[in-house]
Amino acid sequence: MKIQRTCLSAFMLLAAALPFIVSDQYILHVAIIVMFYAVLATSLNLVVGYVGEFSLGHTAFLGTGAYAAALLSTQAGWPMWATIPAAGVCAAVMGTLIGAITLRLHGPFFVIITLSFSEVLRLIANNWVAVTKGPMGIAGVPQPAFLAQIDTLAGKHFYYAIAWSLLALALYLAYRFVNSNAGRAAVAIRENRYVAQSVGIRPLNYSMMALVLGAFLSGAAGGFYAHYISFVGPEMFRFAFMVTMITMVLIGGKGTLIGPLVGALLVTFLEEYLREAQELRLSLFGLIVIAIVLFMPNGIMGFVSRHREKREQNQASPLNMNVSATNRRSA
Amino acid sequence: MMNMSTRAQERPPGGVLQINGLCKSFGGIHAVKDISFTVNRGEIVGLIGPNGAGKTTCFNLITGFYAPTSGTVHFDEQEVTGEKPYSMARRGIVRSFQKTNILKTLSVFENVLTGHYIEARQPVWKTFFPTAAVRRTEAAVRDSAARIVNTIGLSRHMNVPAAQLSCGELRLLEVALALAAKPRILMLDEPAAGLNSHEAREFGNVLRKLIGDLVDSILIVEHNMGLVMSVSDRVVVMHFGQKLAEGTPEQVQKNEKVVQAYLGANAKEHS
Repeated sequence: MKIQRTCLSAFMLLAAALPFIVSDQYILHVAIIVMFYAVLATSLNLVVGYVGEFSLGHTAFLGTGAYAAALLSTQAGWPMWATIPAAGVCAAVMGTLIGAITLRLHGPFFVIITLSFSEVLRLIANNWVAVTKGPMGIAGVPQPAFLAQIDTLAGKHFYYAIAWSLLALALYLAYRFVNSNAGRAAVAIRENRYVAQSVGIRPLNYSMMALVLGAFLSGAAGGFYAHYISFVGPEMFRFAFMVTMITMVLIGGKGTLIGPLVGALLVTFLEEYLREAQELRLSLFGLIVIAIVLFMPNGIMGFVSRHREKREQNQASPLNMNVSATNRRSA
Repeated sequence: MMNMSTRAQERPPGGVLQINGLCKSFGGIHAVKDISFTVNRGEIVGLIGPNGAGKTTCFNLITGFYAPTSGTVHFDEQEVTGEKPYSMARRGIVRSFQKTNILKTLSVFENVLTGHYIEARQPVWKTFFPTAAVRRTEAAVRDSAARIVNTIGLSRHMNVPAAQLSCGELRLLEVALALAAKPRILMLDEPAAGLNSHEAREFGNVLRKLIGDLVDSILIVEHNMGLVMSVSDRVVVMHFGQKLAEGTPEQVQKNEKVVQAYLGANAKEHS
């Protein structure tokens, strides 16, 4: 818990220092995307890692948030500081609706139904031309007016600051959730539904809480993305986003808070680095995910923490170990 | 320890758990048929019977994992028949499971800490913005978890992942996890399965210590007769879903029907 907190704070401090060191716009852009994905991976991790159900429909919340922000700013003329939280709230409402149906299911059923929900939303976005402009998408999502007056580097800094704050908020909320009674309850449900109920936990309450929190965070991230890219189309709901998020969570380590950050960093940089080799990139990710699932089922962070535990156990005094070994034998 | 014992003393004496005419059938099979018994405050009641007698089904009915076909369950003179398991737990009826059920990937301490759920429950917003009171509760709950681990005798393994414990230790952890929910009546389903005779004796002593201190009463299903007969104040015998006998351990051991059920109808002639 202590180590986790230190790592998270160190990461955020480093991230805060970056724009003062680097003035390359491309690197800043990649850093913004890393943080955007880190928010998404953190929010997905709440469902995959803490509810323990594999959601393939997380893009539903990302897309809902993005469309909400785009529509509120283009149609209703809301400013950006209002649309991003509103995007989160809309996604949370969507999360409540979808969660109320899907969280009663488990295993493959949950996977399929969540996937269907995001597909349904994609089809709506694609076909409800009157509101969403269909496949054309909503272009020209307004940026704050003052950005026109300052240079592009300062503009990047502005978005960097927003992305940083979003990530900080996501990590704070996730940290609080995970290290609270509610987080323990969620883990108990993940590990053993019967035990959870026998100590008074109502399963649906906490899987719902994790899902709605995840939906809120990815909705807010979607809202941010809509303004930053200033375009929202039905591809927000596409499976490609989902694959990226899942890859990040699996590579980094599900069920840890640092894992999704590590995953977001690695995957975004790999994606940028392999940008020229589109097809190869996807195949490579496929292989990496297979390797991770086979050899490090708990991702990089799971691997690291297991090694640390082993080292600590080996450092324990040999006498102590002998005593416990003999006791074990008599048991 | 202080607040736990006063908690137990505040309760009025008398029947804590009253089971009345409980029935459960799965299709045409009557797993439990017209079972009635009472567990009083301060008592350890043993529920025994040959395999398939319906003991575990009975547990599932009382704790709400199954809904009874007919019959009632009263707790503190309030009817609780058919309530969900989590609400039974909140009332103070907490059980362990026949097949070991613990949170495998968590450490012993974390398991017991998780068991304190009811005590540490907070409104949603306090999860994200913990007040001083929340922090105090968390600290108290951590103390209590450490104390329960000590009471149950697992302090050596406080931070060991549950998956690494031996079979006997797992059974103890299961009891500790149930105790963490601060039950008034603790229901144990074959807690001594897999313990050797020495461990079983130790376990009996632990159970005795719990009464009046951490819990009001204990209802225990167990095949280890040495343990059941030594710790129980009363024993209820089930056979083919029905109640065969009830009484003190001595009475039950002398009961002819019970001897027949366990050893067969001709056992007397051979002995």
